[in-house]
Amino acid sequence: MCGIVGYIGRRDAAPLIVEGLKKLEYRGYDSFGIATLGRGIEITKHQGRISEKATTAAKLQGKTGIGHTRWATHGIPNDANAHPHTDCSGKIAVVHNGIIENYASLKRDLQLRGHLFRSDTDTEVIVHLVEEEYAKKPDLLSAVQAVIPKLEGSYAILVIADGENRIIAAKNASPLVIGVGDGEFFAASDMTPVIEFTERAIFLEDGDIVTLAKKNIEIFHNSKPVTRPVELIDWSLEDVRKGGFAHYMLKEIYEQPQAFYNTIRSVDPKDLPEKILRAKSITLVACGSSFHTGLIFKYLLEANCGIPARLEFASEFKYFPGPVNGLVIGITQSGETADTLAALKYAKISGCSTLAITNVLGSSVTRVADTTLFMRAGPEISVGATKSFIAQLAILMQIVNSISETKYNDVLQQAHKAIEEVLLMDLSEAVTACKNAQSIFYVGRGPFYPVSLEGALKMKEISYIHAEGYAAGELKHGPFALLSPETPVIALCMPGDTYSVMISNIKEMKARGAPVIAIGTAGDRELPDIVDIFIALPKSPLFIQILTSLVIEQLLAYHTALTLGRDIDKPRNLAKSVTVE
Amino acid sequence: MQAVILAAGEGKRVFPLTRNRPKAMIPVANHPIIEYVIDALQKNGIREIIVVVGYRKEQVTRFLNGLEVPVEVVVQNKQLGTAHALQCAEPKIKGDFLVLPGDNYIDPQSIARVMDIPNAILVKEHPNPSNFGVVLLNNGLVTDIVEKPEHAPSFMVSTGIYSLKKNFFSSIRGNDITDAISGMIRAGERITAVPADDWQDAIFAWDLLKMNRRLLSSLPPAREGTVSRQTIIHGPVRVGKGTTIGPNTVITGPVVIGNDCTIGPNCCIMPDTSIGSRVNLDPFTILGEAIIMDDTSIGSHSRIIDTVVGERCTLADHTSVSTMAGLMEIEGCTIRSEFGAVLGDNVTSGPFTVYKNCVIGNNVTIEGQESIISRNIPDGSMVI
Repeated sequence: MCGIVGYIGRRDAAPLIVEGLKKLEYRGYDSFGIATLGRGIEITKHQGRISEKATTAAKLQGKTGIGHTRWATHGIPNDANAHPHTDCSGKIAVVHNGIIENYASLKRDLQLRGHLFRSDTDTEVIVHLVEEEYAKKPDLLSAVQAVIPKLEGSYAILVIADGENRIIAAKNASPLVIGVGDGEFFAASDMTPVIEFTERAIFLEDGDIVTLAKKNIEIFHNSKPVTRPVELIDWSLEDVRKGGFAHYMLKEIYEQPQAFYNTIRSVDPKDLPEKILRAKSITLVACGSSFHTGLIFKYLLEANCGIPARLEFASEFKYFPGPVNGLVIGITQSGETADTLAALKYAKISGCSTLAITNVLGSSVTRVADTTLFMRAGPEISVGATKSFIAQLAILMQIVNSISETKYNDVLQQAHKAIEEVLLMDLSEAVTACKNAQSIFYVGRGPFYPVSLEGALKMKEISYIHAEGYAAGELKHGPFALLSPETPVIALCMPGDTYSVMISNIKEMKARGAPVIAIGTAGDRELPDIVDIFIALPKSPLFIQILTSLVIEQLLAYHTALTLGRDIDKPRNLAKSVTVE
Repeated sequence: MQAVILAAGEGKRVFPLTRNRPKAMIPVANHPIIEYVIDALQKNGIREIIVVVGYRKEQVTRFLNGLEVPVEVVVQNKQLGTAHALQCAEPKIKGDFLVLPGDNYIDPQSIARVMDIPNAILVKEHPNPSNFGVVLLNNGLVTDIVEKPEHAPSFMVSTGIYSLKKNFFSSIRGNDITDAISGMIRAGERITAVPADDWQDAIFAWDLLKMNRRLLSSLPPAREGTVSRQTIIHGPVRVGKGTTIGPNTVITGPVVIGNDCTIGPNCCIMPDTSIGSRVNLDPFTILGEAIIMDDTSIGSHSRIIDTVVGERCTLADHTSVSTMAGLMEIEGCTIRSEFGAVLGDNVTSGPFTVYKNCVIGNNVTIEGQESIISRNIPDGSMVI
C-alpha cells in the first residue's frame, strides 16, 4: 500500500510532486522520496511523513520526476527502504506500489550476477532488472517491456533514466491513473494529486505499459500500441481539500447529508439490474466498516424482503466452500481492498454473478465485478470511513427499498435532513464520560447491533480507546465480567421491537455499576431516568434511526479523539485502504 | 489587497433562523448573504479573502469549501466582538486590507470607492440608527463613532466596512472595531467617511424580506427545470435544475426557485419570493413576498405572504398568514413590526392554522386543526 506520483512537463517537478504526495498520504505515510531528472538523477528520500519533512525534497531540479509515499510491506520504514530505488550506477530510478511476489528468487539471481542491493525492499529488483536490459539496449521503454514479464505480483511502477526525457509507467493489479494536461502529463495512484491541474484522465488496464513524454503519450499492451479513452473526472478541487476544517474526518462527517442525498438520487430503483432484484440469495463480502454496512443490510433485507443474506469477511471468504449460485456483493470504498477483490474473483470463478459497491470510479474492483454501483460520496481522505459509510448504506437501503414490498422512497428522500439535524447536537457530556475510559462498550439489538460494532470501531481507530460492540443480549455471556464504574456503555435504545428488552439490559448494566450513555429518541419518558447521559435523536422511522445514530457515534468518536489530541485523519498503524492480504 | 469577512457572530436578533447557521449564512434570494459579499469583492479583483468563522463554523466552512473561489478560513473560538474576530486573522494580514461584515449586503461599486483609501469607513444613512455604530462627520472626516447609542445624534451609521492599514492592529483596545476607531480619532488620526450606495442589513428576521426584495431585483432569469406548457410566467423568474412546475401555475417575477422542487398544479407565486431547493408546494397554494428555505412542504389551499419559513417545515393544507402590525420583544428590546410570520426550522403545523404577526421557534409542532397563532412561540414547543 503506497502512493506514487509522476510528472513530466513545463513546470518544476519536485514541488508539484511533493504536493501530490501529500494528497496521497492516506495511502501510506511511513516514508517518502522523490527523484527528478535534473543534473543526472537527483534523489531525496526520508523516513517519516512528507507533510512534516518535505522542505528539502521540493528543491530538486528538473521538469520530470517521480515520487512515492510508502506503506511498508517488505523491509522496515527507514531512509534506505524508502523509494525511489536506483540501480547500481544511480542512473535509473523507480517507484513502485504493490508487491513483487517472486522478488526473493529474482534478487538471488541478481546478486549472483554482481548487483549490489541497498534496501530490503521487493522493489529494488525491478530497477536492477531494468539496468541489465538497459545495458543491452539503451532504450528505457524496451528495457521495461523486457522486465515486466519476469515480475509476478501486483505493481504500478514509474521509471526514469538519466538521458531519457520521459517516464515509463506500467501497471498490474495496482491502481494507476494518467492525468492529461496541456503539454504535461501526470501519473498517480488516484486522481487527488492530479485534479488541481487537469480533469482529463486515462485509467490504465492491467498489463499496460505507458511512455509519457512532454508532448505525447503512448500506451502498449502486450507490446502492441493501444488507445485508452480519456475520461472527464467531475470531482472539483474543493472536494479534495480540507478547506477550513480542522480535520478531513470532520469535513467528511459534515458532508454526509449531501453524500447520502446524492447517492440516493443516483441509484434509481428502476435502473437496478434484474439480477439484484431477482436474487434468490445474496452473499456480501467486505472488510472493516464495509462489513458493518453489510451486516445492517442483512438485517434490513431479511426482515423486509425475506431473502436470505450471508455476510463474510472478504479475508475469510476463500476458506468457505463457494456459494453455488446467487448474487455476491463486494463492498469497498476504495475499490482496491485486496481481500474484497480476491473474494469477488473467487465468486466469479464459482459461477456467481457479482456486484461491486465502491466510491472510486475506475478502481480495480470495477473491472472485477460484473456490475458496479457507485457511491456519490466524493473522495474520502480521512482513514476512518464516515461519508463513504453513509453512502454505502444509501445504496444498500435503496436495494432493500427496490426489492421490498413496502416502499421507503419518502423515508430515503428525507433522510439527509435528519442527518443534518443531528450534526447540531452537543455531545460534550458524553465526550467527558468517554475520554478517560480504558474501555467502552457499545450495545444494541437488531440492526443496532452492527451500528454498535461500527461505533466501537470508530472509537478505537481514532481515539485509541479500547472499544467493543456487542449484541446487547450477548453481553451476559462473558463480557459482563468486565463491567465496572470505569467502563462506560453506549446503549442504542430506539422505540420498536427491541425497546423493552434493551431497557432491561440497560438496567442490568446499571446494576453492575457501569455508567450508561443512551442514544434514544426525543420524547422517551423512561430511558432518561435510568441512564446517566441521554442523547435524544429526533423521532424517525427505523432507516433514519440507523443513519442518525451512526452519525452521533462518529461525532462522539471524533470529539473524544480531539480532546485526547489524537492524529485523527491518520491514526497510528492504519492505512486508508488495505491493498495487501 | 486582502479582505477579511467577519462571519463568526450568531446574530441572536434574527432568531429563530440562526439555529444551524450564523446570520451570514441565511439564504436571501437563495444564496447565503456572505456569498454576495464574496461576489462583490471578486468583482473588485480582490482574490485574497479570509473569512473568520465561529458560531456553527462547520456549516460555514462546508459552504465556503464548495465555492469556486478559494477562501481562507480562520476560527474565532469565542465570539468576543469584531476587533477580537479581526485579531484572529491578524497573522494572515500582509498590508492594507478591507474588513466587511459577512451578514450585510454591499454593492461592488461602494467597495471600489473605499478600497483605495486607507483608514476609511463606508457610511450610510439609516432610519433606525440606534442599532448600529453611529458616526458624526465633519467635512468628510469622522469626528466620532458611538456604538448602538440609545439616543442617536445622527442618522449616519457605520456599515461595518472598513479600509484599514496593517498598523490598525496596534490601535485595538476594546472588543469592537468601533472602539479602536474612536481611539484612533482621539489620537488625531484622519478617518475618512465614504458614502455607500447600496447596503442592506437585516436586524430582525422580518427585515430579511426587504433584503430579499432588493437582491431579487438584480437576479438574471434562467430556466433549468421542467415547466409545464400551461404555466404562465411574467417577469424575471429563475427555475432550478430538477424542479417541476405543474400546469396552470402562475408565477410573477422577480421569483427564484431552487433545485428539485415540486410545485403545483394551480399554484400562484407572486413577486419577491425566494423558494429554496426540494420544496413542495401543493395545488392551489399562493405565495408572495416570502422566503421559503430548503426541504419545506406547504399543503394545498395555503396562503403564505410576507413570511420567512425555515428549512424542513411541514405546513398542512389551508395554512394562512395575515400581515399585521404589532409590538414584539426580541432580545430584551420591544420593537414595532409589521409582517406575516417568521417560522424557524422544522416547524410542523396542522390544517387550517392561521399565523398573525408572530415568530415561531425551531422544532415547534402545532397540533390539531384551526389553531390561530398570534404570539411568539419558543424553540421546541408543542402547541395543542
